[in-house]
Amino acid sequence: MLYFVRRAGFFLATLWAAVTLNFLIPRLQPGDPAQAMLNRLQGETTAVNPAQLEAIRKLLGTPDGNLLSQYWDYLGAICTGHFGVSYSYFPYTVTAMISSALPWTLILVGVTQMLSFAIGTLLGAWAAYRRNSRVDSVITLGSTFVGTLPFFWLALLLIFVFAITLNWFPDGGGYGGGSSPSWTWLFVSDAFQHSVLPAVALLITGPIGWIIGMRNNMVQTLGEDYARLARAKGLPRRRIALTYGARIAILPNVTGFAIALGSLLGGTVLVETIFNYPGLGRLLLEAVSNKDYPLMQALFLFTTIGVLTANFLADVTYGFLDPRVRRAEAV
Amino acid sequence: MALLEVRDLSVTYSPRDSAAVRAVDRVSFEVHDGEFVGLLGESGCGKSTLGNAVLRLLDRPAAITGGTIRFDGQDVTTTPEDDLRSLRWVDLSTVFQSSMNSLNPVITVRRQFADTFEAHSDALGNDLDVDARATELLEMVSLDRSVLSRFPHELSGGMKQRVALALALALEPRFVLLDEPTTGLDVVVQRDILDRLRVLQARLGFAVLFISHDLGTVMELADRVMVMYAGEIVEDQPAAEMVTRHLHPYSAGLLGSYADPRDQVVEVEFIPGRPPDLSQPHAGCLFQPRCPVAVDACRTVHPELLPASLGQVRCLLVEQSGDARVVLEKAAELRRRDQVFAAGLSERADAEPVLVVDGVSKVYKTRRGLNTTLTQAVDDVSFALRPGQVTALVGQSGSGKTTIARILTGVERPTAGSVRFKDEPVDHLGRGALRKYRRHVQLVFQDPFSALNPTRTVAYALSRPLRNHLGLTGAEARARAAELLETVGLSPADQYLDKLPHQLSGGQRQRVVIARALAPEPEVVVADEPISMLDVSIRAEIIALLDQLVRDRGIAMLYITHDLLSARLLADEVMVLNQGVMVERGPTLDVIAEAKDPYTRKLLAAIPRPGARDIA
Repeated sequence: MLYFVRRAGFFLATLWAAVTLNFLIPRLQPGDPAQAMLNRLQGETTAVNPAQLEAIRKLLGTPDGNLLSQYWDYLGAICTGHFGVSYSYFPYTVTAMISSALPWTLILVGVTQMLSFAIGTLLGAWAAYRRNSRVDSVITLGSTFVGTLPFFWLALLLIFVFAITLNWFPDGGGYGGGSSPSWTWLFVSDAFQHSVLPAVALLITGPIGWIIGMRNNMVQTLGEDYARLARAKGLPRRRIALTYGARIAILPNVTGFAIALGSLLGGTVLVETIFNYPGLGRLLLEAVSNKDYPLMQALFLFTTIGVLTANFLADVTYGFLDPRVRRAEAV
Repeated sequence: MALLEVRDLSVTYSPRDSAAVRAVDRVSFEVHDGEFVGLLGESGCGKSTLGNAVLRLLDRPAAITGGTIRFDGQDVTTTPEDDLRSLRWVDLSTVFQSSMNSLNPVITVRRQFADTFEAHSDALGNDLDVDARATELLEMVSLDRSVLSRFPHELSGGMKQRVALALALALEPRFVLLDEPTTGLDVVVQRDILDRLRVLQARLGFAVLFISHDLGTVMELADRVMVMYAGEIVEDQPAAEMVTRHLHPYSAGLLGSYADPRDQVVEVEFIPGRPPDLSQPHAGCLFQPRCPVAVDACRTVHPELLPASLGQVRCLLVEQSGDARVVLEKAAELRRRDQVFAAGLSERADAEPVLVVDGVSKVYKTRRGLNTTLTQAVDDVSFALRPGQVTALVGQSGSGKTTIARILTGVERPTAGSVRFKDEPVDHLGRGALRKYRRHVQLVFQDPFSALNPTRTVAYALSRPLRNHLGLTGAEARARAAELLETVGLSPADQYLDKLPHQLSGGQRQRVVIARALAPEPEVVVADEPISMLDVSIRAEIIALLDQLVRDRGIAMLYITHDLLSARLLADEVMVLNQGVMVERGPTLDVIAEAKDPYTRKLLAAIPRPGARDIA
């Protein structure tokens, strides 16, 4: 029990630190968002009128006052769920922008991540179970080879072959032009069509880390004395592989998986940019390039909370899966 | 018909990137129903490989390359794994060496019993009450049934090994292979487990092949002892015979490394040199390069294992002469010249103490939630170390020995009391002063395998303290490193300077560790069980080295150990620590001969005296 309380305390402390950093970092960056917005409105060459600038600042609700009072307002806003108005998508609020992008990323990347983990762990365990056999060579060498290919290259190759040459799938976007998001059969099947290529790209590269990690861990656990003793005890091979091999080898991967799920946002920038997918990753890229502080901050905050929550969950599950950790922490 | 019958068994390791090594070479032996057979040998002699081969547990790159293994008349040398399963554990079980690691860490003890029963449900039937049977088995090894619901990491090393023993007996096997079952456990715990093993074996009547490097235990427990050297069995005799009338010079050397520490004069022998490289072919006797009585023929003729006395021996001299005893007595004479280390009654001159420990206590605080537990690790201990003298610190694991070593070297600070080096108090030194102080106080560690950085050469290991403490660099440091190697008997030094630790044997590594401790020219050396990880036949050699260094260089040494024989050989004074309190101290012979503390007495009882059973 103490173990879980401790983990929870640790979680809250890190969360506070992350929230504070998230407040400070964008303010330390050079550049003025109002200026950037004006530039966009008027074109780069036109001289900027200071009065206009002031008006835009008012409009955007740029925080005044010193850092401390800004920090205080910021904490208050977070607790009430107000992230302000987006600078670049004015007059939409940050919350609106994020909630329209979130489901796209969550479904595409969330599902592929889980599939990647499942596929990777299974393949890795299989390779370790059949160590030094042909199956092992194919899996290990194959994944090492695919792992050396750059993701964007693979993605572009997929687009070139299946979208442009064969024309089986659309070459980008989340849904066809003209339709708008709704829960109709037509729209869902359209969205699915659009998600196939990015999902395949993610599924090709996603499992590799899990395969190699799982195989190496399991080869090691199967070489331990307890696995040898299990063999001497006459346990069936499959049972040894599961209870004495995979069951122990999967532990470090559980943590890895939780972290991967948490940092989902950072990983989606590339895939969403390449496939022009309307998710959080593309939103983040646009927010950064437009100096859209409120949007950026909110996105960063979500990422951090995501990572921390995932870590917390990983610790908790780890506690259940590995009795050794519970004990070590309690002492 | 013998229960286990091994004929001409060979095992070869064929790694991908180096030469094949024939770890077990045409070994033949038998174990009969209910017989207790010891297999004795030093590290790397192939005894564990032989054990694994018998259990058919060899993993690549090791494989059986010749010979047969018959169990109860059935040839199991090439039986496929699936068919072996019905034999495994039902007839043939095992206890491994590392009690730390032979239980699955993520399942409870109950599950480990249950899956054994499940795997053999065809032999046991499905209605077996797992809890009842497991409790019964645990009771045999004096464990409470509450152990069932615990995880392995919640048990002590001794408890884990007892669980492993109970598990091995779960299906009432006819044959149990014990591979160093008590190595790494505290002496007293070892004793307890071995005594229990003997009682159980007598009661249940299973046959045992007991693999160990610990001569005393093997001699005491076994009916028959086989001695293995460089992949071959060199002698096979009834245990009693082995003690009094062993024939092979190697057996003689092993037996000579033990003595009774209570004698007025204690002598131990060691066998110089190291075992041959088994990836190379050898024409003659494999022991010849280390053998004190070898003749010319030994170099060219490979001896066979032939009947001699009540058993068998593999030695040309025994083969040739009708009366082997004469040959071996001559050998004993020869050996005595330079391969014996003796501790007599000679007193070393008293000198002014260099390090004084006065009333030192250490209390550790452990916080568990809101509760704080205080552990008194060391309680009011005082002693002094004098130049040219060795003070032994003896005690059970957890008695505070290591804490004292840590206080001496400034790693820990005492809660009360003081430590003075010459006239300077050193118990509360700052960072810089501590660094200067450490030049004078050096450590020799227990495990020579982990005390050296595996990726750095010997020269580098030695140059670090030379640079840090004496400011020597480059050629100067290298020259000094070479000198140090010569001092510790690694000669010619050029051969060793550029070697990596894995290219050295255990004894050589420990010499490098000692050389490193000597590098900054310390006045005090703390040696923490420096020989406990080494093979028996070279222990005396390292003790002789330490003794000579202490005398020649006037070093004050604190020798931490639980081995009273080595304490007797090396130390002028012995202190016995029990739960942080010093319970006995005095000149070595007095303390050992008239031990009063129960722990000291247990330690004494634990020292193997191969000859003792005959006399008693």
